Amino acid sequence: MDSTTMSKRELRALRQQQKKEEAIQRIKARDKLPFWMLIRYKYCTLYFLKKLGLAIFRLVLLIGLSYVILFPYLSKIFSSFMSREDFVDVTVIIIAKYPTLDTYKAIIENNSYFTALLNSSMLALMCATFQMLACTFVGYGFAKFKFRFRKLLFTLVIFTMIVPHETLQLSLFMKFRYFDIWGIGGGISSLFGGSWRGFNLLNTNWPLAIMSLTCLGLKNGLFIYIMRQYFNNVPDELEEAAYVDGASVFKTFMKIILPMSTTMLVTIFMFAFAWQWSDMFYTNLFYTTNSDVLLPDIIKIPTVLDTEYAAKNAFESAIRNTSGLLILAPLIVLYLFTQRTMIEGVERSGITG
Amino acid sequence: MTKTKQLDRKVSTKRKGKSLDKAKGRNGWLFIAPFLIGFVLIYLPMIVESLQFSFGKIHYESTGYQLEMVGWANYRYALFEHTTFVQTLWGSIGELLFNVPAIVIFSLFVAVLLNQKMRGRAIFRAIFFIPVIVSTGIIEYIETQDQLADAMGQIATGGNGTSAAGGGAQEDSNAFISVMDVARYFQGMAIGRELVEYVVGIANSVYDIVNKSGVQIMIFLAGLQSVSPAIYESCQMDGATTWEIFWKITFPMISPMILVNAVYTVIDSFTSKENEMMNLINSVYSGEADGQVQSTAMAWMYFLVIILILLLVAAIMGGYVFYQKRDT
Repeated sequence: MDSTTMSKRELRALRQQQKKEEAIQRIKARDKLPFWMLIRYKYCTLYFLKKLGLAIFRLVLLIGLSYVILFPYLSKIFSSFMSREDFVDVTVIIIAKYPTLDTYKAIIENNSYFTALLNSSMLALMCATFQMLACTFVGYGFAKFKFRFRKLLFTLVIFTMIVPHETLQLSLFMKFRYFDIWGIGGGISSLFGGSWRGFNLLNTNWPLAIMSLTCLGLKNGLFIYIMRQYFNNVPDELEEAAYVDGASVFKTFMKIILPMSTTMLVTIFMFAFAWQWSDMFYTNLFYTTNSDVLLPDIIKIPTVLDTEYAAKNAFESAIRNTSGLLILAPLIVLYLFTQRTMIEGVERSGITG
Repeated sequence: MTKTKQLDRKVSTKRKGKSLDKAKGRNGWLFIAPFLIGFVLIYLPMIVESLQFSFGKIHYESTGYQLEMVGWANYRYALFEHTTFVQTLWGSIGELLFNVPAIVIFSLFVAVLLNQKMRGRAIFRAIFFIPVIVSTGIIEYIETQDQLADAMGQIATGGNGTSAAGGGAQEDSNAFISVMDVARYFQGMAIGRELVEYVVGIANSVYDIVNKSGVQIMIFLAGLQSVSPAIYESCQMDGATTWEIFWKITFPMISPMILVNAVYTVIDSFTSKENEMMNLINSVYSGEADGQVQSTAMAWMYFLVIILILLLVAAIMGGYVFYQKRDT
């Protein structure tokens, strides 16, 4: 009776509705569907199109921004292979017509690249290890222990982060030129009529070692902050269990907390290493003579390369950029190996407030 | 009965005095000892010394140096006699007002994008963190040297500087955004000239902004990860759209991070190698006769301005920040 009262059109709509529901159910159950049905009910829906559009938009945006990040390096890499003739040739834009490795050779041989590499990596390795350990200790102390003046002391950590190092430039220099704690040594010597003012620690690795061990290095306030946030999220029960089993605070830290937080340690180490690697402020300040060649020192025009040519500026800029590339190359290689751990570490730090 | 109770209380108060927490607290001092020692023995004297230097004049001697107090002379010099100090100060504050909102908004946007599940996310993340690793001044240093060489060359040849194929990466990367087009497009909409200029400025300095927002993206990403997925799930159950979820859940939850990032951006842009003020201070430090003390005075004034701006930022944004109640 019903089917007769219902018009043919309504009947068709009803059947289509049923078909659609069935298809959706089968899609949800991940059944195998005939090709056309899949197209009709999965891909030609507003929901899917909207999602697809958003995904494409996102992809284009991210690729564009990645291009903005990577392009300077790409163009530097390409121009590092150019010989001086290429800079005069207007048809050469990216890829060299007369590719050469002379620029690399000249920088490596003439600017003593490998010596600088060795010196800088020793220095950065030392600083990064010290900073990592010191900041982990301090971050743990701030996160897990309740003691008087904790808030005040943490404010002081933030304070060291805010004060620009340039403000302390002169005092840093003086401090390590005449190294003496609170002027006690000088006081004693003047008591006996001497005029000794302190140790001269310039041109040694001592200033940076001391600063790294005492969390005063480059952006160490940030490291302490990150570590504190991370340890705040580690449940207290973990340590309590260890204490109940009779472990001391330090044993717990060394045996349980440190092995557990290797990801964070790698992250901090990587930051400290990378920032120390190409730092110029401290190295310029503490290494006044050029006896120790460090990486920033190799940015200069090697004498073997004859740059007195038509496009002198472009060529010299390319040489400087090539030395920049040589400086950054080891860092990038290291980054490629550690980036997965590093990004995981960043995610895990769970920085809140 | 009452006696035992009193006794109990006595015992408990006695226990409290020697509780595990307090004994542990003493260990806390040991853990923060590296920082404490460094701060008290090195940092604090350095701050005091630096303040002294800014009021003095240095005479070097064979065995050391003598400090002669000259009062406010260095400050007076910086404010009234130095030709460009005040100008540069205003300039860098203006630049800051421009940069901070741009960087914070951009890094939030990118962090939200990178937090979504999609194919190739690991690669994009790796690329976006490259600036964090690389941004330590070497590239900036090379760029300033290039500009210097360019300027010298222009003087030598009488203008007509040659644009390099490899050197001017910054110009090249901006070349695909035609400023004129953007400006015309926005001028059609009646939204005020300042806003148009701001947007055009951002489009122009997209290279800078992308490269400066590495750490900020990282901080935002960490914050986004710490928002419990259960909250999102329950919102979806209640039928909230993605847009609503962003503004009602994500945004308040990471608002503390917005404050942190704003503060970090202020500090970072104040201390970066590109900052004109820092360059000025550095050039005064190594350039002029009494440059060392004069630059210290300048740096202190600059630092005071930073503190003022930071307090202002914190005061303005502090009111809007939402802190999730957590029992720590």
